[in-house]
Amino acid sequence: MSDVVVRCSGVTRTYQDNAVPVVALQGVDFVVKRGEFVSLAGPSGSGKTTLLNLIGGLDRPDSGTVEVDGVTLNDLSESELSDLRLHQMGFVFQSYNLIPVLSAQENVEFIMQLQGVAADERRERASSLLKDLGLASMAGRRPGELSGGQQQRAAVARAIVTNPVLLLADEPSANLDSGTTQELLELLRTLNERQGVTIITATHDPMVMGYSKRQVNLRDGEIVEDNSSRAA
Amino acid sequence: MPLKLLLQLSQRNLFRHRRRNIMLLLAICVAVAGVTVMNSLIRGFQYDMQEAAVANLTGHVKILAPGYLDDPNIEKSFALAHDWQPDLPADQLEGWAARIRIPAVIMSERETRGIQFVGIDPAQEHISFIGNATYTGERLASAADRRVVIGKELARQLETAVGRRLVLITQGLDGLNREAGFRIAGTYDAEGTGLEKQFVFTGITALQAMLDADVVTEVSIKFASHPKEFSIKQVFVEFFTGLDVLDWQELEPQAAAMFVFADAAVFIWFLIMMGALIFGLVNTLVTAVMERVQEFGMLRAVGMRPGAVIAQVVLESTLIMAVGIAIGLLLGWGFYLWLQDGIDLSQWAEGVELAGMRSLLVPRLLVEDMVLVAGLSLVFGILAALYPAWRAVKIKPLEALRR
Repeated sequence: MSDVVVRCSGVTRTYQDNAVPVVALQGVDFVVKRGEFVSLAGPSGSGKTTLLNLIGGLDRPDSGTVEVDGVTLNDLSESELSDLRLHQMGFVFQSYNLIPVLSAQENVEFIMQLQGVAADERRERASSLLKDLGLASMAGRRPGELSGGQQQRAAVARAIVTNPVLLLADEPSANLDSGTTQELLELLRTLNERQGVTIITATHDPMVMGYSKRQVNLRDGEIVEDNSSRAA
Repeated sequence: MPLKLLLQLSQRNLFRHRRRNIMLLLAICVAVAGVTVMNSLIRGFQYDMQEAAVANLTGHVKILAPGYLDDPNIEKSFALAHDWQPDLPADQLEGWAARIRIPAVIMSERETRGIQFVGIDPAQEHISFIGNATYTGERLASAADRRVVIGKELARQLETAVGRRLVLITQGLDGLNREAGFRIAGTYDAEGTGLEKQFVFTGITALQAMLDADVVTEVSIKFASHPKEFSIKQVFVEFFTGLDVLDWQELEPQAAAMFVFADAAVFIWFLIMMGALIFGLVNTLVTAVMERVQEFGMLRAVGMRPGAVIAQVVLESTLIMAVGIAIGLLLGWGFYLWLQDGIDLSQWAEGVELAGMRSLLVPRLLVEDMVLVAGLSLVFGILAALYPAWRAVKIKPLEALRR
């Protein structure tokens, strides 16, 4: 098994904004090794979310290549990308994006259902994880009945219950107060340190940057600083 | 993608916007119930018209001498052997009736009319309207009865009444006129003045004696319900060589055309109702999809395949259609039961008669029509969901998640 989980080589991405081309990324080279906790930082429009989306297979580069766990995403069809996201990645979104008609337990089981995991195993894994995240008593509640922090913890549970190679989090603390943000970051740190989950977050929250082991700063679509030394 | 998960999501999503989906469900129920009731009325009209045509001395199949239809007279007649009846299973045959039916002139003390003079065996006429008509006075007693029964409208026109005598003039086989006096046994009510003005009945052997000819001009055959007319007709074609064997569609082409039109009317009515409903359904589903753009984006982001997204939207439409169809069919069936005794159309008797119907419209609910409505409605529901599903699958996860 390769030590490299993510490898971006010469990645460029340009958007059309009212027919005006906006360069979001230009020639980015970026490597993430297994077990790293990386935060992509930078001001709005710096390209951090674009890079995260390209790594997650939610977007395609105009040029350059993106590899995840040895698979080049450029060559994959939409369905193949869906399968890769389903089996290799976990996502934590800014606005949680739990399915409103499912309970917390069912939301956590949802990805496993897509994967075809047997019902008994699903239930056991979801219950166990919710218990670990302090949501055991909330398992039967729907997202609308949970606080923001509880929803984000349920979203993290959904993202990691399948033991993904890579956990991608886009502004995970944007809608949380500082206390809840700290709880979430402790959780991510625990997942990273104890279970070895590779985590990449896009954030401009200094608290999130402070918890990550490596901070990559982007500006105008380029990596201007890669503080890999923190990993040491 | 497990079907159970899709079903769970679809079912819960339907409960998410209860008021909107209840309104949609009501629209489906009303449309399906409306189509079901209307179908039962169209079928009632259709089968009543067919039965009226068949009962109008026609039968399902009639045997005639060649040329009789173009020039109906006693010269276009044929002798009937005693063992003439083909060997058909009893359950396929409701009955048959041999008749003489010739043009004649009828005279009362005051008026003269041209009519169809029909010699019948009353015992055989349970297959035609005259066997089931209501009478003032008496019916004909037997094939040898020398009295006549006339329609009550003809009695009114001739200014005559039961018990009085009438004179009938017709032409014999030898080309000479035959004239005889007949006493009126009774007048019949045929629920329509057309038949009452047209037909005068007497016993067939009495008429044969008057004409001095042991012949008949027609044999009507009526089958038990839903005859496979064509195949049975072939039996008669082979048996009655040299004679014309015609089915009711050939004898009553207008009624036959209306019968076919009624089949088409069932579809036309269905398409109008469902067409209107489908626009509402598409609109509701598109709204539901657009409200859940972020959710669909998330589902695609976490690995739900495009096909599964389509399946989910289609399943939601199918579920609501299935429930609406079931309730709609039950409602339609309830209305049908309520109307089962028939709708009295006697206020519009003349128009109804022109349409070849009787004055009581009895709805008829066919299982195949209900299956058709259910099946096609589901297909329409699925088709209506394809556009919203396409919209859902076109949602780019990235753009959806940015909202």
